[in-house]
Amino acid sequence: MIGQIGQFFSEAFAVLYGNRIRSLLTILGLIIGVAAVIAIQILGHGMSGAVGGILGSLNDKSFFLFPNARQSDVTKSFIKIRDIEAVKLAVPNILSAVPAGSVQRRISVGHAHARLALSADSDVTFAAVPLIYGRNISKDDVATSAHVAVINDNAYHRLFPAGGDPTGTSIRVAERRFVVIGVQGKPTQGIIPVSFGGDVLIPYTTYEHEYLRSRPLFAARFVVADATRMADTESAVLDYFRKSKGGRVDYQTFDRKSFATSVDGIFGVLTLIVALIGAISLLVAGIGIMNIMLVSVTERTREIGVRKAIGATNFQVLAQFFVEALLLSLIGCGIGLAIGLTAGWAVNRFALVAISGIVAPIPWLQSVAIAVGFATLVTLLFGTYPAFRASRLDPIEALRYE
Amino acid sequence: MSDSAGVIVCRDVTKTYKNGSLEVQALRGVSFTIAAGEYVAIMGPSGSGKSTMMNLLGCLDRPTSGTYLLDGIDVGTLDDNALAAIRLRKLGFVFQGFNLLARTSALKNVALPLFYAGVPGPKRLAEAERRLTEVGLGDRAEHKPNELSGGQQQRVAIARALVNDPAVLLADEPTGNLDSQTSEEIMTLFARVNAGGRTIIMVTHDLEVARNAKRIIRMKDGVIVADEATLAVY
Repeated sequence: MIGQIGQFFSEAFAVLYGNRIRSLLTILGLIIGVAAVIAIQILGHGMSGAVGGILGSLNDKSFFLFPNARQSDVTKSFIKIRDIEAVKLAVPNILSAVPAGSVQRRISVGHAHARLALSADSDVTFAAVPLIYGRNISKDDVATSAHVAVINDNAYHRLFPAGGDPTGTSIRVAERRFVVIGVQGKPTQGIIPVSFGGDVLIPYTTYEHEYLRSRPLFAARFVVADATRMADTESAVLDYFRKSKGGRVDYQTFDRKSFATSVDGIFGVLTLIVALIGAISLLVAGIGIMNIMLVSVTERTREIGVRKAIGATNFQVLAQFFVEALLLSLIGCGIGLAIGLTAGWAVNRFALVAISGIVAPIPWLQSVAIAVGFATLVTLLFGTYPAFRASRLDPIEALRYE
Repeated sequence: MSDSAGVIVCRDVTKTYKNGSLEVQALRGVSFTIAAGEYVAIMGPSGSGKSTMMNLLGCLDRPTSGTYLLDGIDVGTLDDNALAAIRLRKLGFVFQGFNLLARTSALKNVALPLFYAGVPGPKRLAEAERRLTEVGLGDRAEHKPNELSGGQQQRVAIARALVNDPAVLLADEPTGNLDSQTSEEIMTLFARVNAGGRTIIMVTHDLEVARNAKRIIRMKDGVIVADEATLAVY
């Protein structure tokens, strides 16, 4: 029986190869559908990875402030260093306010080097990840604009591939040297182990001095003392900024909770769309395959008659056509899988990573499972009927068919 | 000879086709016995019931009434799967239009019944090659049907029909698509197969061809009108 299955497949392949243009056109819908679903699925994974990474390293005492993009002149609302110094004094419950954002620099230690993101932090860190080595930035570091750095898991693995405690080691950032004082562990929350906006955290005073000078900031990051008063603090900060700029500008804030809620909403819609595309492409591709299989059964009526006269059972005829449909589906889904993986990987690599600096792992298993699932479903739904019809043909009628 | 000795025994076989309210009686009670090793031609004009007879003998259909015993098995009581098994093991078909699978080599065409019988691959091809050599086409094994002449195609079909060692070889106008010289070659091959002990039943309307058989059953209007030994004229 095993040998028979192999023979069914090789015969089916010969038939499909004999009609290769038709076969290709038949499975085109399946290829496009599966490729689209898998690419979007990988993209969704990459995006949720990026967001998860952001959320994972942002603790629930932090929020961001940035200009509302929907205003006539966004440049008027740029935040200055002295604004965030002032708001700390004016609004209660703020422990720290630092520039948000990051700069990309080539960082090296001995022979190891990597392009990493530098961000500002204060002695009250916004990071949610506990340290595995050393300490956080201190008040002193901030006061003296010390050239010290807390590196995250990503930076640690790329700069110190040998492992071990790196505290006290100098890392080179362009012409400057920073001493590593702390190493963050893997984030416990979020899918991707990155810090929002930075692999390497340095005191915000140092950051201003080295990388901002007097340029305006686009956004600022706050840490509050009491997380239960987060909403009040946020609105107080918003009020303060509106007033300080003369009411002609508008700002908005986001924190972990509101961010997570909106992201969940977006992904809910995305998932629905993917499911819809999947269902539609499945239907269209399946109808195409059923159509061609029915044509094939009709064209080969005489052949079916001969096979039955020779002694093929109904089941053997059914198996022959079912295997043909299965092979069509498998090839279509296989090609779709390859294209989808390539497209998803490329978009992740060259678009998402460029924006977020986060490399999301490609969900191979899930992708293969989707493709195989599609192939099976299409075959069962649309390959069974033509095969059944072939198996039920009356041999006498079939032999007489011209 | 007695009934039980025949490889084919038909007793009062009738076949009625229903087409809506219209009933057509294609066979109106046919009885005959064919012993193992016989070479029989069934003749008759169109509408005589010979094609229906052929379909029944070939286990492609079941009689409406009466009994048909093939090698002792009552075919009328069998289901589709059992009929398929009988066709596979006990019968070999040769058709007027050869009916080889296009795009499939002569060797694989011959091996097809062995595939359905579940014979493993290598043994299948070895057996098919032996059968092809028997019909004189050992050197054409890899040729596709459209690369072979009509006579060669029919010989491939005969090899295919014999590959499972059937009790009976059924031929439906086997020379209908062939010129006279090729027909003669095929008839010589049939004679050789019959000389080897194989029962052959051949449906034809051509007396020249029928004369190759040792016995001719003539049918008309669904009944047998004559059943006689052929006078050897060669």
